[in-house]
Amino acid sequence: MPIDLSTRLSTAWALFQGLLLEAVPFLLIGVLIAALARWFSPGGAWLRRLPGHPIAGPLSGAALGFALPACECGNVPVARRMLVAGAPLGTALGFLFAAPVLNPIVIASTWAAFPDQPWLLLARPLGAVLVALALALLLQLLPEAELLRPDLLEERRLNQPLAQVGLLERRSGFVGLPAAAPTGLPEASGPPAPAPGWREVLRHAGREFLQLAVLLVAGCAVAALVQTLLPRQWLLAVGGAPTLSILALMALSLVISVCSSVDAFLALGFAAQVTPGSLLAFLLLGPVIDLKLVGLLGLLFRPRGLVLATTGAGLAVLLIGQWVNLWRL
Amino acid sequence: MPVLVLSADLWRALALALWAAVLLRSSVDGRLDLLLRSAFHPQVAAAGGLLFALATLQLGVALAGRRVDSRREAPMALLTAVIAGLLLALPPNPSFADLASQRPGDDTASDTLSFVLPPAQRSLTDWVRLLRSQPDPHLYDGDPVRISGFVLPTPNGQPQLARLLVRCCLADATPVGLPVRWPAGALPTADRWLAIEGRLEREGEGLVVVPARITPIPRPLRPLEP
Repeated sequence: MPIDLSTRLSTAWALFQGLLLEAVPFLLIGVLIAALARWFSPGGAWLRRLPGHPIAGPLSGAALGFALPACECGNVPVARRMLVAGAPLGTALGFLFAAPVLNPIVIASTWAAFPDQPWLLLARPLGAVLVALALALLLQLLPEAELLRPDLLEERRLNQPLAQVGLLERRSGFVGLPAAAPTGLPEASGPPAPAPGWREVLRHAGREFLQLAVLLVAGCAVAALVQTLLPRQWLLAVGGAPTLSILALMALSLVISVCSSVDAFLALGFAAQVTPGSLLAFLLLGPVIDLKLVGLLGLLFRPRGLVLATTGAGLAVLLIGQWVNLWRL
Repeated sequence: MPVLVLSADLWRALALALWAAVLLRSSVDGRLDLLLRSAFHPQVAAAGGLLFALATLQLGVALAGRRVDSRREAPMALLTAVIAGLLLALPPNPSFADLASQRPGDDTASDTLSFVLPPAQRSLTDWVRLLRSQPDPHLYDGDPVRISGFVLPTPNGQPQLARLLVRCCLADATPVGLPVRWPAGALPTADRWLAIEGRLEREGEGLVVVPARITPIPRPLRPLEP
């Protein structure tokens, strides 16, 4: 059917609005939770006490997902807050990558969409933890200075104990004093950082929401354009081939860019046409990385870290999908 | 320019208010019916309310507080305000036929239907699900149909009457359609919404809708089906 350009652009504009309006509420939840955390626990001392063990750290971060009923867009501001507060890197990464699946809403929606496939209800959270663990281990191979954005790293170092950060790595602030308390010297016992005023928390939340909204808009625009120009049949045509179907569904999850809280309902539409491994791959990769998320994750990682995270996630999901196909086919 | 000396707080309050307006207006002007499944409408409205509260508080801060240098933040707030303005000014108007042409047909497995309406009360989606559940064409030969949908061109040149099924938002919409035996020399144009009254007849291995009356209708207020 010949379609003129204006019709196609009009459809892409509607798709863009659909993606954006679905994601903005989750983004707002994440920003508000990060703001509340900043208000009630300004120094984030409890975050620094989370385990830093290479395995236990990411696992405890993943478990925190149960406390945040949001999808991946909402997790980015919270993970950023964790990193700024000086939480162990592995823990924050475990949270960032696993929490979009390990939360009550996503598990409930997966169950609602696939009540007749109990294996998926177990395999999705388990797979998400494995992917998060693999990514946390992989990304920690890079020094923090090469992984995290400079501005984030600067804030983070102000909140890290001097035992972890050299004096020369702190570019501002008072030695031994949390960034939130720039006046006066610390007492010998190390008093807790004073809570920022509500005005400051409000300013910060508004600024963060708008900053993330711009990136979300860019991501949704790219996702909508790609979806409009690329016939989905091309991706689903290889549904029955074990490896190709996994790769195709991984590509589809990158393109579709819907939130993890609703992607199971979406997958229901083509579940009968594809292999079980590819179905799981679709449900695992989307919450970690997609076109909509690239900009948001760019607020945390340097390009090198982003490329490593994307490649690592792709490989881990491909392996899990292959294994599931061996088991279920 | 005098507007650029507004404080950062005021810029932020303005941008947040515009985003609140986008979400709240979308909740009342029927736009969401075209974009999202109804289960997700309350969260958009709630987010709009929250953003409005946030914008009001920011405005209070801006009016009461001291002026903060806006050089760094003003461009970002201005950009978000422009985007929100565009969203408000340009409502979505998708071509369902274009969208459907990019998607494979819905293939949701449904072994049995627990409840079936009488033939003349079945919607197009009900018919598609019933035919998928019990595909024997002999069961429905001659049944009356009263259905509505948009015209979806197909590769074989015979347009179908179709609907879009949506589980979350327009991004996951998949088409379902019924073949129609259009009157000779009167193929309808793509995307047109029609109501058809007629009968089902066997044609080869399948069924086709044979219209007795075709009425052009405007796009329904809630065009997406769950």
